[in-house]
Amino acid sequence: MDRRDFIKTCGTVAVASMIDASFFSQALAQQKDGMFQAYKKALLVKQDGTPLKEEDIKPHASYIFFYPHASTPCYLLNLGEAVQPAEIKLKDGKSYQWGGGVGSKKSIVAYSAICAHQWSYPTPQYSFINYYPPDTPSETTKKAGIIQCCAHLALYDPKAGGSVIDGPADFPLASIVLQEEGGNFYAVGVLGRDQFQQFFDNYRTELRQQYGSTAKARELVDKCIVMEVDKYVQAVVRC
Amino acid sequence: MITRRDLLKSAGVGAIAIGAVSQPVFAAAERVVKMEALMPPPKGNRVVVCGGGWAGLTVAKYLKKENPNIEVILVEQRPVFFSCPISNPWLADLVGLDFLQHDYLQPAAKYGYTFMNDRVIAIERDKRRVYTTRGYIQYDYLVLAPGIRYNYSAWFGDNRELARLTKVNFPPAYIPGSEHLALKRKIHEFEEGDFIIVVPPGAYRCPPAPYERACMVAEVFKRNKVKGRVIVLDPKEDIAPKGPGFRAAFEQVYLGIIEYVPRASVKEIDPVNKVIKTTAGDFKFTDANISPPHQAGELVWMADLIAKDKEGKLTGWADQDPLTFQAKADPRVFLVGDVISPALGTAYPKSGHQANAQGKIVAKVIASRIAGKEAPLALPDNTCYSMVNGSPQEAIVINVSYEYNKQENKIVPRPRTINERSEALAKATYEWARAIYRDMFV
Repeated sequence: MDRRDFIKTCGTVAVASMIDASFFSQALAQQKDGMFQAYKKALLVKQDGTPLKEEDIKPHASYIFFYPHASTPCYLLNLGEAVQPAEIKLKDGKSYQWGGGVGSKKSIVAYSAICAHQWSYPTPQYSFINYYPPDTPSETTKKAGIIQCCAHLALYDPKAGGSVIDGPADFPLASIVLQEEGGNFYAVGVLGRDQFQQFFDNYRTELRQQYGSTAKARELVDKCIVMEVDKYVQAVVRC
Repeated sequence: MITRRDLLKSAGVGAIAIGAVSQPVFAAAERVVKMEALMPPPKGNRVVVCGGGWAGLTVAKYLKKENPNIEVILVEQRPVFFSCPISNPWLADLVGLDFLQHDYLQPAAKYGYTFMNDRVIAIERDKRRVYTTRGYIQYDYLVLAPGIRYNYSAWFGDNRELARLTKVNFPPAYIPGSEHLALKRKIHEFEEGDFIIVVPPGAYRCPPAPYERACMVAEVFKRNKVKGRVIVLDPKEDIAPKGPGFRAAFEQVYLGIIEYVPRASVKEIDPVNKVIKTTAGDFKFTDANISPPHQAGELVWMADLIAKDKEGKLTGWADQDPLTFQAKADPRVFLVGDVISPALGTAYPKSGHQANAQGKIVAKVIASRIAGKEAPLALPDNTCYSMVNGSPQEAIVINVSYEYNKQENKIVPRPRTINERSEALAKATYEWARAIYRDMFV
């Protein structure tokens, strides 16, 4: 990172930090380790373009939005109860501080929906990586309240910063840092090991077809349309 | 271990076998003896990976990811990668050949390892040399990932003609390439009668494959309105793994087409008159897919790293450390993928998923060793989808994770199976494959 990038990032983080004073120092500390990357501050909106409110995020429903790039999918979840901050430990010995849930009940979390194992992600046709609510356990693993990828059964814990519970993934799901400001929700950055480079490498052809060009797929967004996953995905594949 | 002297000796034997001490054969051996190094001496971090299948490709890529400065050379005799997993659905035209085939150049270019399209002809572990048809490569670490070979002599002894006739007429199609193309042609040209699938005895590549293959052959017969049966001759007591799922498909989807015969160990095969004699009776057939016992691929024999049983008899599988995949007899050599022996009481399935998972572990172990460290303990996992219906496409799945019980020094499997076939699992089958292809090639 050069000085210009650093100043730019500081600016972004500073804007975000107007909402949460502890966020600024925490984010900068984690940025040195390559664990936090600030992006454009993006307002979460409904399909009609109006800002998404807390009451719009139903407990245990799965919502999808795209951040920080126009093509990188994320899941937004209301886990129905307070989700505490946690230290997320990686296999390489590194760790980072995850801030927990946001919203009045601290129950709202967001994660990158690109599987950290071998990069399955929700497309308009299929989603193999999905959230399994507490009353809908996976048929294979019998676990509920998890995010599971059916490609190779990588299991992640949305209550613990997307940590790996079981299966072949080496990294947790990257988490999307959310901020609440005056009843509106913003995405401000990505925490953890994102898989964006592999995503763009792997899906060059598909993304060109869907977005018209790689550049368009890579565009950074300042607004995110949030919708229910099954409105975006034709076949939600559970296993 | 094969030495240069052995090469000369075997060249002599070859010459005698063809009836004369022929000068050209000696000349070939002399050439091997005089072979020159293909590249400069290594600097302590050269890893030669022999075999570009699911294990070898993964080791090569992940070594470079662990440490880009490690010099990695992947030696593979085939010019094009042809996937064995998903080849059964391909037999029934559920996917195209482009789904199975991939180029070796993309990952080599992207990750910076050397892809050498060549055949290994000898290994000298004492000198740390791998000989290819063009010269030798000096290594610091050697990874052997050659997959399997067929052991026809278990059935035919020294009668190579019977083995040749059986293989060429009724190919096993467990080693991708011509055998798969031949099997597909046979299935689609089949008009009437009994098509037999022989399940290999003992440990073999991809345990559910014969049952999935039976479903896919039956799918083609059903589609083509062929008056034929698919008879599965299995030496086992029952279908395994995913027994209930396969049985349900046999009885519900392909009722009257698939006949399953358990406890059918091959006693005799007559490839000319098309008769198989088994412990469950004799079977005449119209055409067949006959798989002999499997063993570790040739390179492990070449390197003299085959395990022995308590009586000192060769088991046919590699003798590797169960946790690091290092050869027990040589700390510079790693044995990975389908070649391995059971590990601490657990027989890891010989599957593509396992090979990919093991490859990542081996890459970490070698990279750590080069860095003068020890890699943390990691165990592979396994996920295996099987297509049991072609119209609509439906699949079943087994997933196994493993835990190391340090107190008992055992690896404990935790299997989870869905035997209820579904279209969702069929979709996941393809994503399973696409994701690992992405991992190995992109």
